[in-house]
Amino acid sequence: MNPSVPPSTAEYGGDEVSAIVLDPGFSTTRAGFAGEDTPKSLIPTYYGKYSSDGQESFVFGDDIFVTPRPGLSIHNPMGRDGIVEDWDMAEKVWEYAFTSRLTGPKPGNPLQNGLNDVPEGELSTEMEGVETEEKLLSDSPLLMSEPGWNPTKAREKTIEIAMEKWGTPAFYLARNGVLAAFAAGKASALVIDIGASNISVTPVHDGMILKRGVQHSPLGGDYVSSQIRALFKSNTPQPISITPHYLISSKTAVDAGQPPQAKYRTFTPERAPDASYRTLLEERTLSEFKECVVQVWPGPNKLSAAGPNGVSNEELAKSNPGRPFEFPDGYNQVFGVDRYRVVESLFDAKAAIPDPESVFPAPTPAQTVPELIKNALNGVDVDIRPHLLANVVVTGASSLLYGFTDRLNQELMQMFPGPRVRISAPGNTAERKFGSWIGGSILASLGTFHQMWISKKEFDEHGPNIVEKRCK
Amino acid sequence: MAAADVRDMLDLPAEGQPRPHKKQKVVEKRPEGITRELFALLGERAPPIAINENRYKGRPKWMSKLRVRPWRMTPFVNGARSDGLVLRHWQRQHEPAKVPALEGSEMEIEKKEETADTASAETPQQDSMFSKYNVKARVPNRYTDEEYNRHLKSDDWTRQETDYLMDLVEEYDLRWVIIADRYDYQPHPVDTETNANALVPAKRYRTMEQMKARYYFIAASMLALEHPPSEMSEAEFELHEKMLKFDADRERSRKELAALQLNRTADEVREESILLEELKRITANEQDFITERRELYSRLEVPISVGNTTMYQSSQGLSQLLQTLLQADKSKKRRSILGPEAGAAPSPASQTPAPNAPSSTRDSRADTPNAAPAAPTNKKAAAAAAAAAANKEAQQSIRTLTPAEEAKYGVQHHDRLAPGVQFRSDRAQKLTQAKSNVQTQKLAAALAELEVPLRLVMPTERVCKEFEKLIHSVNLLLEARKVAEKVESEIRVLEAAKEERERKVKEAQEKDKPEVKSEQEDQPLPAVEATDGVENIDDAAEGGESGEKTGEVERTSHKRSASVLSNTSDKSTKRQRK
Repeated sequence: MNPSVPPSTAEYGGDEVSAIVLDPGFSTTRAGFAGEDTPKSLIPTYYGKYSSDGQESFVFGDDIFVTPRPGLSIHNPMGRDGIVEDWDMAEKVWEYAFTSRLTGPKPGNPLQNGLNDVPEGELSTEMEGVETEEKLLSDSPLLMSEPGWNPTKAREKTIEIAMEKWGTPAFYLARNGVLAAFAAGKASALVIDIGASNISVTPVHDGMILKRGVQHSPLGGDYVSSQIRALFKSNTPQPISITPHYLISSKTAVDAGQPPQAKYRTFTPERAPDASYRTLLEERTLSEFKECVVQVWPGPNKLSAAGPNGVSNEELAKSNPGRPFEFPDGYNQVFGVDRYRVVESLFDAKAAIPDPESVFPAPTPAQTVPELIKNALNGVDVDIRPHLLANVVVTGASSLLYGFTDRLNQELMQMFPGPRVRISAPGNTAERKFGSWIGGSILASLGTFHQMWISKKEFDEHGPNIVEKRCK
Repeated sequence: MAAADVRDMLDLPAEGQPRPHKKQKVVEKRPEGITRELFALLGERAPPIAINENRYKGRPKWMSKLRVRPWRMTPFVNGARSDGLVLRHWQRQHEPAKVPALEGSEMEIEKKEETADTASAETPQQDSMFSKYNVKARVPNRYTDEEYNRHLKSDDWTRQETDYLMDLVEEYDLRWVIIADRYDYQPHPVDTETNANALVPAKRYRTMEQMKARYYFIAASMLALEHPPSEMSEAEFELHEKMLKFDADRERSRKELAALQLNRTADEVREESILLEELKRITANEQDFITERRELYSRLEVPISVGNTTMYQSSQGLSQLLQTLLQADKSKKRRSILGPEAGAAPSPASQTPAPNAPSSTRDSRADTPNAAPAAPTNKKAAAAAAAAAANKEAQQSIRTLTPAEEAKYGVQHHDRLAPGVQFRSDRAQKLTQAKSNVQTQKLAAALAELEVPLRLVMPTERVCKEFEKLIHSVNLLLEARKVAEKVESEIRVLEAAKEERERKVKEAQEKDKPEVKSEQEDQPLPAVEATDGVENIDDAAEGGESGEKTGEVERTSHKRSASVLSNTSDKSTKRQRK
């Protein structure tokens, strides 16, 4: 078989209709053409808002990280539970996701684009009857994803935006758990999605979620960040403060544990961006910290438990060599057992580092990953539980925490010693990060999926409630 | 670069004269595409080489004649959709049947194509090839009101809820896991808003088993209504039976068990796996034991080879055998690998020191004279030395055992060994088999009386000996009884004869008849002949007892048949005794 020749469509049942797949998340929004292996457009869901010349302006995409405009504040249209809160802004962010890279901005109404401004009262009569406005997505079907607990109202609102604002000829709303399972090549699976704001466990059977088994809790990547902040606050000898890059004009190297020697940039109060901007950039440093330092205790038991030969796991963890990390201001330190502690509360609620200032309340035992899995399995029929356990799909960017799947495997084996537990977690980071997008890309390029689309005509006939009937 | 240059570079001594082969080599055909110098470097017997021409290949000629086939974005509809949604995908344009020869006509055809394209773009006639995959699960026909009221009424299920269930089943194509997950029946969906204060019956939680039971009942009933069971096809009838036999309680208990099985603790799982392992081991052992035993028995049944070995018993014969073996060996091995002296030296006897070990008594004695002189010539001196050392050690270690030790180690001395392998138990078994059936039965009866099993449980040497003794004494006993019976019967016969004689004397005194006399002469004859067979003694005794004098002669002439009948006659005598 020649690898340079793509497989014929008959082989994989593909039939491309140039559909666009949009996978909105709390942290990032992914968009791309169906049939490709990674989303072409990856933008943060956060957007910046500032006022210039008395007018409100927005910054989308990666640009929000770049310029500390005066008064720039950062917002997120999504709620912490993964459900859209600000529909107007969500629409704008999503629009940006596909117009910036995929479709390009469509020519708007020539009357409004500023080129044809005419003085008041001189509006030419010929232009009035002409229907000029072309919708953004008029020639691409759109597949969107949603969390398994999305309420009906949000689903209806989504299809309304797609059909009425963007004018897509066909639309479908799929659960991201199902899509992640498809990306792993499974129609039935137990999908464990570790996202930024949420972790969710979704049992999928024959390509449909089992609603009674869907579990989610807020212990996602942002929670880990808050734990890291708590750790920094309680750090000895002195608490660590995170100074983002934009506040530093120069720095000199210092030894580990020594106070930083850096020149800071200062902004006058009227030039300074909003505090949320600083938080956003601090989060970037923290995600770098998560990628480089943080490690999940691989098991077999909890970090606080005693090991097999009497030595407590914490002692064992201490004996592992530490990992150094340098902050943007030059401060650097080696992190030993602490790097295990910040994620331990994903598995063991008691191990959470207390932080009264955090937005996250202390986790309850029911919010930890093992408990979520247990509850999810208890919510489905007993006959398919062993099958689900043999097809555990791990997805979401926060699942890339070092050693996460090992620990998960250990926990599952301890909880269910009888049935065979098999975790399927792609080693490729892109496949793990964009699991649900890739599943959507596969689904939307299948020839057999054509009959599933909700067409514009159907939407006009039945109204937005059709999404409940068709996207089951 | 010629070979001489390479030599020069590598400081190899140049060859004295130009090689005479060189010209010949040139004559050897040089493959195309390889330079002469390169070919000269390859020496004799060059491996086959693929020659890659460093040249742009281009397209095959026939390809340039083809036209690029155009792809078009074509609209299509999927037959599985009811709303006629038109989607567009790229598709290869259909080629005209033959390639036009003239340029002018090509232009025309292109124009035609274009018009065809525009036509097809407006009316998408083409149906998607995937619509055929739109299959639905077969669900039973819907009941009418009348049918429902007559056949399908249930106390547990309202009509509305049944409808809801049937809708759900159809919607989810009988995927029960999903149906049970999505089942959410509101008893009064219309009324909830109008009278929210009214008492709404508590929402009932339906288990999957309840739903299945209801659905199968309805499906089976509908099937039966459509075709009465007598008219159903086989598949239909089977389905009907299966659906009727659905037992919700059993299913529920099965699921409970499955949940238990799923939620076992680690210890239980470990224990189970250990037990399973043990079971596997036991069955495997049993299997092994059986096969081994079978093999042993089959080996015993193989006839002992009776080939003539006399020609190998002399040293001459043995050396001849060795020579033939070596010849066979040599022809197999290549001479180049084996050295000249190595080819002759190794003899099977000297290479394998095993027969030298004293454990096998008879063979080693025959072999040692051969092996000892062969050892020094052996190339593998180390092996030979080791063998010799082992020999010495073995000789030193030979010591006489005391009788107690012999018994302890189970050493036995045989005067004469029977050829082949046999079981000790078999030998013991043979003892219980007498020449005749009757004797065997008697032996068995005696053993049974003594509560000794016929087949020994633990046939050790001592037990076998004891058994032998026992059998011997039983035989003696039987013999003695036989003799005793014989004597007894003889006494009886003689007494009877005596009586007869006395009576005859009396009669003779009265009548004096000659016929009786002949009978009298016949009488002792059976008694004498009966001595060689056990049965005949019995017979004789019988004869003596009952005084059947007339059949006696006949019986002696048919010994075999008499012996068969002896059992029954035995019984009859016993009865008589009683």
